Amino acid sequence: MRAVRDGMLALLFLSAGPPVRLSAQDSARIAEAQAVLAPLVESYGVSGAEGPVRELVKRLLPAWAKSETDSAGNLWVRIGQGNPLVVFVAHMDEIGFRVTAIREDGSLELEPRGGFIASLFEAQPALVHADKGDVAGVFIPRDSGFTRHTPPPVRVDLGTTSRAATMARGVSPGATVTMPKQYVRLTGTRATGRSFDDRVGDAAQLLALRHLDRAALKHQVIFIWSVREEIGLEGAGVAAAALGTAPRRVHAIDTFVSADSPLELPNFAVAPIGAGPVARALDNSSVTPPAYVDSLVRLARARGVALQLGTTNGGNDGSMFTPYGVVDVALGWPLRYSHSPAEVIDLKDVASLADLVRAIAESW
Amino acid sequence: MPSKSTRGAVAAALLAAFPAYHLSAQSDLDRLALRFASMTAVTGLEQAITDSLLALLPGSTRDRAGNVTVTLGQGSPKRLLQCPLDEVGYVVGNITGEGYALLRRVGARTTYPLFDQQLEGHRVTVFGTKGPVPGVVAVKSTHLTRGRVAAGAPDPVFTVDNAYVDVGAASAAEARALGVEVLAPVSLTKRPLPYGDRLLAGPGAGRRAACAALVAAVQAKLRTRGTVVVAFTVQSLYAGNSGLAGVKALLGPFDDIKTASLPTRYTDTAVETVALAEVDKLMREMVQWMEGR
Repeated sequence: MRAVRDGMLALLFLSAGPPVRLSAQDSARIAEAQAVLAPLVESYGVSGAEGPVRELVKRLLPAWAKSETDSAGNLWVRIGQGNPLVVFVAHMDEIGFRVTAIREDGSLELEPRGGFIASLFEAQPALVHADKGDVAGVFIPRDSGFTRHTPPPVRVDLGTTSRAATMARGVSPGATVTMPKQYVRLTGTRATGRSFDDRVGDAAQLLALRHLDRAALKHQVIFIWSVREEIGLEGAGVAAAALGTAPRRVHAIDTFVSADSPLELPNFAVAPIGAGPVARALDNSSVTPPAYVDSLVRLARARGVALQLGTTNGGNDGSMFTPYGVVDVALGWPLRYSHSPAEVIDLKDVASLADLVRAIAESW
Repeated sequence: MPSKSTRGAVAAALLAAFPAYHLSAQSDLDRLALRFASMTAVTGLEQAITDSLLALLPGSTRDRAGNVTVTLGQGSPKRLLQCPLDEVGYVVGNITGEGYALLRRVGARTTYPLFDQQLEGHRVTVFGTKGPVPGVVAVKSTHLTRGRVAAGAPDPVFTVDNAYVDVGAASAAEARALGVEVLAPVSLTKRPLPYGDRLLAGPGAGRRAACAALVAAVQAKLRTRGTVVVAFTVQSLYAGNSGLAGVKALLGPFDDIKTASLPTRYTDTAVETVALAEVDKLMREMVQWMEGR
């Protein structure tokens, strides 16, 4: 096999050419946004199993920030003193599956965690996040039911042939399942990956904290990285109950699902990517009072942040605070192809969203 | 001396091919199978992988159709051992004013009815004139379909005619500046996945692993019985298997013809799976066949 080894060396030599450097001309702002966002996107945290993301957020916090984790798993950072209390919340979890049973043939039965098009997972590589580490497998292609988005229940093949062999790999019911993911730059300042929803929100809060002028704060601000948003805003519900009527405003920092795509209807949600963050003024869970939208627009203008206004679908964590009389002023950034393995963003929007979060904390 | 564009094409085929996972007990043949499975060779547009084969196999040549052949031994009988290189894939057929590439499928025969649907919402690579360009195929946002699709509404399968490739460009000019042009090959981004007990999954993994086994057999420096022409053939999935036909016309006639192939699971899907133990076995069988044992 020496000759094969020599051949491999030849192949490696041939592959050593310079890759296309799409990010070579990044500004410092874009480079910093990417440096925070990319590892967040490449970490795994299906709803209820956000531990790896939470640990990464902790590592990315500025050294001065003191964090605490509540009983639900939400991560909190409190800054400043006095009223009115303002809360920011971005969720850490992502869509995926959970193992419900192991069949006699060793394959895994699954249930979805969150809402998505199941056919996007079938016939793709799978990762089972087991106690002893990740285990690779494949989402089994369907052999019947050839319609587009409604496959039979998706299962995973780990290459084993018995339940015992599967369990010997450390896999048991309750383990979460995703597919391998990568953060990849596209041309210009655009990028693709899975679970930008809501790792961009997580990153924006981190970037805002890094640049925050703490001396400028006139009141207390709480930053929360929440859990289990995709399965019903559960973590935010715990945080909202803990704070009760104390906050004046909550800012959910979450995706603005954009119709900026040739496949979408243009009657709403048309916020072009790269044109700035979006005031998510009306979605399926909350409506921001117009006076607050006006205030936000004035603030953005004063701080030189290009702000888009829009309405889209989906719910946001801030809506769990509104039953306590807290105003939800939700903010997002435009995202194409939501809850797919190929979500697309523009890093300019990430940096600008962080600027806006910082401006709100310091000045509103 | 390969041209600049050829070198670029070779690099293009190999870029982004680094395995996401490492085989637990990799042999050299395992690694070769993994690397071949990382390559793209849309039928009729196989030059990058044939460049690699020329580098791997001293004494090999490429004929005018693109087949790579190497002749071992001499005398009779004269036999042919061939491995088809190509895969069903796509080329850019048009670029919209908004910078999306539209696709034409190349190569018709697949056994998986949802072959094109595997593009939807997934990463693709456009092998442009300036190198590989990452992109994705557009899919409707989950959130924006809610409440807009009635229960029981028709749900026809995705076809290539629905595919909009988003490389991040905002105009046709931006896409072209990346080297994305009409006729550029396009495939699902190849990230072959080792799993289980020496299983390898990836688009076309069976064909590529079989060709890796044949490379290893040739490199075993065996003593053949008579003459054995080893051919890595192109265009097996198009134009009446014209690559093999060309080899027969140019180097035949042959007393016997054998094709390197492997059994696969989940055939023609993005997780087509081959057992690496079968690759080892195929390599041994081909050595024996060439030696006439």
